[in-house]
Amino acid sequence: MKKNFFLFALVVGLAWACEPTPDNMKLLDQLVVQTHYDTEVNFTDYATYSISTDTIGFISNASPNDTILTEHDTPGYPRPVLQQVVKNLDQVGYTRVDKSANPDLGINVYVVNDYNLFQQVVYPSYYYPSYYGYYGSYYNYPYVNTYAQNTGALVVEMVDLKNIGADKKVRVLWTAYLGDVYSTISLLQESTDAIDQAFHQSPYIGR
Amino acid sequence: MKKIAIIVALACGCGLVQAQDNYFFVNWDINTPMTNTNWIGSTSTRGIRGGYRAVIGPERRFSAGLDVSWATFSEYKPTETFQQQAGAITTDYFNYIYQLSFAASGQYYFHKSSNERFFSYVGMGLGANQNKYTVFYNIYKDQHSAWGFLARPEAGILLRISTRKRIGLMAAVHYDYSTNKSNDYNYSSFSAVGVSVGIMSMQW
Repeated sequence: MKKNFFLFALVVGLAWACEPTPDNMKLLDQLVVQTHYDTEVNFTDYATYSISTDTIGFISNASPNDTILTEHDTPGYPRPVLQQVVKNLDQVGYTRVDKSANPDLGINVYVVNDYNLFQQVVYPSYYYPSYYGYYGSYYNYPYVNTYAQNTGALVVEMVDLKNIGADKKVRVLWTAYLGDVYSTISLLQESTDAIDQAFHQSPYIGR
Repeated sequence: MKKIAIIVALACGCGLVQAQDNYFFVNWDINTPMTNTNWIGSTSTRGIRGGYRAVIGPERRFSAGLDVSWATFSEYKPTETFQQQAGAITTDYFNYIYQLSFAASGQYYFHKSSNERFFSYVGMGLGANQNKYTVFYNIYKDQHSAWGFLARPEAGILLRISTRKRIGLMAAVHYDYSTNKSNDYNYSSFSAVGVSVGIMSMQW
């Protein structure tokens, strides 16, 4: 009885103490905002930009045929996201022009989706036959655990259209990675806040 | 021959342990980090400690044994922007340390009679601990695991519920110093003050 009590206390204690993780509501209430820029570029050398109105790109290892996200695919997401990018670009002094008007900067906005499927073979309670033998039931049949992980980032990219090389390659001047957009509490709000933060932490952008 | 020698040694050891007075315990362990408090300074109430101690000698002045403990330290860090070489990263995050420690320990007891219900003691444990330094941000997690040498001076009391019962209560304060460090997180020389309370079972 006493041994059982101690064992019980130990098991309860271990279960309570072992590797707890943070509260998801607190973890997922804002996106991680990472920005990267070309340190050799002077952003004041650019004046105009072009950006899509209601379509954002979509790159996924799960559905390679889908390349864009429209308002039809994800209602209420692409347009407000693009508008937030436009708002920030306007605030730092750039002027939006049509794609045909030779803009200095091209703005790409897209979602990169990484979908992973894991499978794990589980061999339950392996045991040996007793002396008398339970032939044919040496072990329980293994089963397969399948679980999926779906992650992704919203990417905002600024490319140099003013200095296109002879090989027609364009240089990426600035990139913002905002993630994870697949595990959010409020996707649109967190995305627009993250876009604001991306520009806020990039004070070198602008005229 | 070697196997037989090991079996004989183990049998003798077990016999000795069975013949000796001893006690084992399970405690709730509360710890407050004393160093690197900018990384985690919050008190951890998620800790458990257990151990076995064999009493040496008829006067019950000394004991020696093994302590095993487990603790989780955590702290929330509000949103912060970290400047990088060509950019920046902004996030809020949680710092965690998952700690597992083992210590061989020795104790000296203060009491007038060996049959008392109340024992106070001082002790010292030496061993090793493993810290898993972990940072959680959004769905992402970075972790670095390290081992270090552990020294743990301790003072405590044992209170037997009655002379006819083997079960009792235990309380102790301890100071943990460890060489455990993480260069990844600029964390060096873990140390903490802990208080543990719990139950014990005396085998005498």
